[in-house]
Formats: sequence, C-alpha cells, structure tokens
Amino acid sequence: MRNRKRVGWHRYVNGVVLATIVTALFVILPLYWLIASSFKAPLDVGTTQLFPNPISGANYSQAFKGYDFGIYFRNSLIVTIVATALVLILGTMAGYALGRLPMRGKFTTLVILLMISVFPEVAVIAPLFLLMKEIGWLNSYQALILPYTAFNLPFAIWILRNYMLGIPKEMEETGRIDGAGPLRTVWSIVLPQALPGLFTAGIFCFTACWTEFLMALTFNDANNFRTIPVGISDFGGNFQVPYGTIFAASVVAVVPIGILVFIFRKFVISGLTSGAVKG
Amino acid sequence: MTAVSSASDLVTTAAPPVPRPDINRKRLARMGWGFSAPALIVIAAVTIFPIVYSVVMSLNTVTVTGNGFSLDGFTFSNYNLLVHSSLWRSALFFTVYYTVVTVIVELVLGTCIALVLERLVAGRGWMMALLLIPWSMITVINAELWAYIYNGTYGVADSILNAFGLGHPVILGTPTPAIIGLMIADIWKTTPFVAIIVLAGLVMLPGDVYEAAEMDGASGWYTFWHVTLPLLRPTIALAVMFRVLQAFGLFDLPYVMTNGGPGTATQSLSILAFHALFQNLAFGPGAAVATSTALLVLLGCLATLRVFRAQVGQEGN
Repeated sequence: MRNRKRVGWHRYVNGVVLATIVTALFVILPLYWLIASSFKAPLDVGTTQLFPNPISGANYSQAFKGYDFGIYFRNSLIVTIVATALVLILGTMAGYALGRLPMRGKFTTLVILLMISVFPEVAVIAPLFLLMKEIGWLNSYQALILPYTAFNLPFAIWILRNYMLGIPKEMEETGRIDGAGPLRTVWSIVLPQALPGLFTAGIFCFTACWTEFLMALTFNDANNFRTIPVGISDFGGNFQVPYGTIFAASVVAVVPIGILVFIFRKFVISGLTSGAVKG
Repeated sequence: MTAVSSASDLVTTAAPPVPRPDINRKRLARMGWGFSAPALIVIAAVTIFPIVYSVVMSLNTVTVTGNGFSLDGFTFSNYNLLVHSSLWRSALFFTVYYTVVTVIVELVLGTCIALVLERLVAGRGWMMALLLIPWSMITVINAELWAYIYNGTYGVADSILNAFGLGHPVILGTPTPAIIGLMIADIWKTTPFVAIIVLAGLVMLPGDVYEAAEMDGASGWYTFWHVTLPLLRPTIALAVMFRVLQAFGLFDLPYVMTNGGPGTATQSLSILAFHALFQNLAFGPGAAVATSTALLVLLGCLATLRVFRAQVGQEGN
C-alpha cells in the first residue's frame, strides 16, 4: 500500500526518482572529480578543467616511476591477503567451536570479543610500538599482519559463529557416524554451509586491512614497507602536493577493492546489517 | 506467525534430548578450546595486553632512555597534566563536537536516502552498489580528494563559492571552514553506510502496521513519525553506535587534510595522542590521552544504549 502504483509519465518522473538522482550525484561527483583529475595532463591538474583534455596517462607513469607506488601496492597486497587468510582460518576454527561445541564460558568469551572490537586503535599503538621496537619488528610485514589479524578476528568470529549456529546438527552427526574426524567434519560438512559467512568476514577484513592507516603509519614508516595509505599520504613535499600523481595512485588503489566489493556486495550488505537483523 | 513458531518450539522442547555421555561432552569442550585457542591468543596478545599496558603506562612516570624506556613508579600526574592542559580540552571539545554534528547529519541524511531507496521500484541494487563505493574508499584518499577540492587556487569548491559571490575563503586555513570542510568529507564517506543500515531495517518492518495506519487515515508524515521511527529504533541505535565509535577515534581525515590545524582547530584526541607519543616521545601523557579516549568511547557506547534502550548485540541462543 505504501508504494503506490504510478501510471503514465509519473512512472519515470517523480519525487522518488528525482531524489535518487540527487543521491547518486552526491556520491558520483566527487568520484568523477578524482578519476577525471587523474587523467588530466599534469599541468591541467592545477586548473578547474571539467573534462580531461587532452586525456593523459602521465600521472599514472609518474606514480609508478617517479614514486614507489608499485612497492606500496605490493606491500598492501601481501599484508592484506595474509591477514585475511589468517582471519578466515583462525576465525572459522574459533567460530565453529564457539558456535557448536559445548564449552563453558563461551558466551563470556563472545561478549569480551565484542568489547574488544569497540576499542579505538589509538589505545594500543604505544605499547605495541614499544614491544615491536624491542623485538625488532618495526618495518616488517608481520608488524601489520599480526595486529590486522587480531583486530579483524572478533567480527569474523561473530559472523562465522552465527552461520555455524544455523547448520542442522544432523548433518554433522551424519559425518561423525561415517567415521569423519573433527577436522574432517569441519572441512567437508560445516565449511560449505558457512561459505556466505566466510565471504562476509573475508570482504570486511580485506577492506579494513586495505584502508588501515594509523598502525601502518606508526609501525611501517620505512619506504620499503609502506602500504598504500601511508605511501599516498606522503607523496610530495610540504609545499607542493602532486595531486595528479596522488589521484592516479588512488584510482589504482580503489579499483581492486571496488571490484571485490561489487562482486561480493550481497555479503557486504549482509555483514553491515547483521547487527540490525539481530538487534 | 508467532503461533506457528511457538508451536514448533514446543515440539522441539518436548522431544527428549539425545543423551550424550559425559566424557564425550568433556572431550568436545576441550576440543572447542583447542580450536579457539589460536584466535584468542592472537587477540589477547595484540589487544588485551596492550590495553592493560597502556593503562599501566598512563599511571607511571615514563622515562625514555637511549635504547628503550623505563617505568619509574606510580603517579597520577599524567592525568593531572591532561585535565589542566588546554590542548587536551580543545581536542576533547573538537572530537565531541565533530562526533555529535557528523553523526546527527549522517543519521538524518542517511534515513532520508533509505526512505527514498525503499520506494525505488527499479535500480535499487545498482544504487546499493554505488553507496558501497564511499564505504570501501581508503580514508587517506578521501582526505586528499577533498583537500584538492578545497584548494585555494584551483579547488573546485573555491570556484563554486566564488560563483555564488562568497569570495575566496581560505577553507582549510581558517578554523571554522576547516572544521566544516572535514565534516563534509566525512559525511560524503559515511552517510551511505548509515543509509544501507537504515534501509535494511526499513525493509524488515511489518507491512500490516502501515495498512492499519492508512485505514486509520494517518498522514504520511504522522505515519513516519509515530510508526516508522519507533519501529526503527534498534536499527538507528546500531547505526549511531557504529558511527560514534568511529568518529570518536577520528584520525586519518584531519591528519592528512589539516594535520590538526590551523593551530589546533582540528586536532582530535587521536591526533593529540599520536603527536604526544611519536613526536614528543611523551609516553606517559600520550598513554593517558589514549586511555582516556578509550574510556570515553566506552562511556559513549553505554550512553547511546541508554538513550535508545535497545539491546544491540544481545542475541537469543
């Protein structure tokens, strides 16, 4: 009843459609500006030219040749992929245990996990920095992989646990009767059922690692170990900011995550709203 | 619906539980802790231990020595310093002000967008995909993009303001415009996130309530205010909570766009802690700023829960 049927031209031109277009423009215009500026000739970046004319790839080659964007991209890729893999492996094991096994104190554990995920990063960076300095981990991959894994695990465990809860007990029992060991049961019976949860946890972890800035800035400041956000924030000197190069690098940095989020959008939305559904 | 589900509940509770030998149960519990141990150890090592250590540091005189640091005894002076520091007070004020304004604007705008999208007949999937782009954007890139837009010589915002006869304000170099500029960048990035959460809540609202409201002759506005909004309360509480948490830890955006300036106009608590820790090597006071920020975040969460009286995160097992 709320969505009245519209007839004639009102189907195409009405308040809802107009408001949708305004919303779309609100999102698209800054993005357009980012992409358009990245394709401008370096001198045109310092103007308000609306369309890149001529279209130039100079900023892109400058990002990779003049700056070490290739290194940053590689570092981000390594850190993000390893951390995401670890989160999924450890998160599946813990999510399975906390969801399905008769452990005493598991609800307390889950509540503590929820509280940890609330803590701001700034509360942990000083001790972690001193600790890593002590054991010589500053400027290394593990300096980011370990914290990223830890910070993304609580959400992954919650999501995976919720999926594990929904798997009928009989399926698992069938496996056990057939003589499958516990690991085998998880691998071939529970895991396929929890696949949507793995997608959701995975895409969230990937996005969080790809965009994280504060820890990357604090722990890995050497040029060889910088990730994309730290690298981009440090392009150029204090007086002149090479926006063209920055935007070319930005487009390259945004594309992989954009594609992933687009492919897995169903799971992203289910992750974003998992609290809303349960609350 | 309720009748059906309660009936099935009755059936399951009436069925006798499969008797399991106690030994098996114990074995499974041990296995469970074995399975969770790797994850829990990693989490404890990287979050719980440092949080505790932050508190310890903030309550100690920390002396930085040649190749490390030492804790020189219990003191409350770090917190004392904080309370009497105008830097901390202005950072606290800025962070709270920024959080309140952005969260309210994002909530109102996000709810409007959600209400529009809910009525959208075609293309809702595409709009959702579009809304996810700002969410997945690296904040540093967002900051660089808006700094470019606000640039005084070739920024497009400058041309637009000038076209409206507002002259050439130095956006990121003047306190109030800088704060508004940061807020706009934040609103662009996070409103879509709020809209998606609210939309998910809207879609799940029961349709019969609306039919009843319509039969009673309630106007659209009245329905929204007295039916939709109260039903949406848990969803909105969740969105507010996420956003308050995020906004209170504000770091990336002002660090890149203004580095806390002009002066200390956009210096958030996180930036203050970062400067104290890693530029002045004042680990005691820095830890005090960090710890008090974490504490305030927790209090903020509790306050949000109080206001909305919703049980976020509480689930039936």
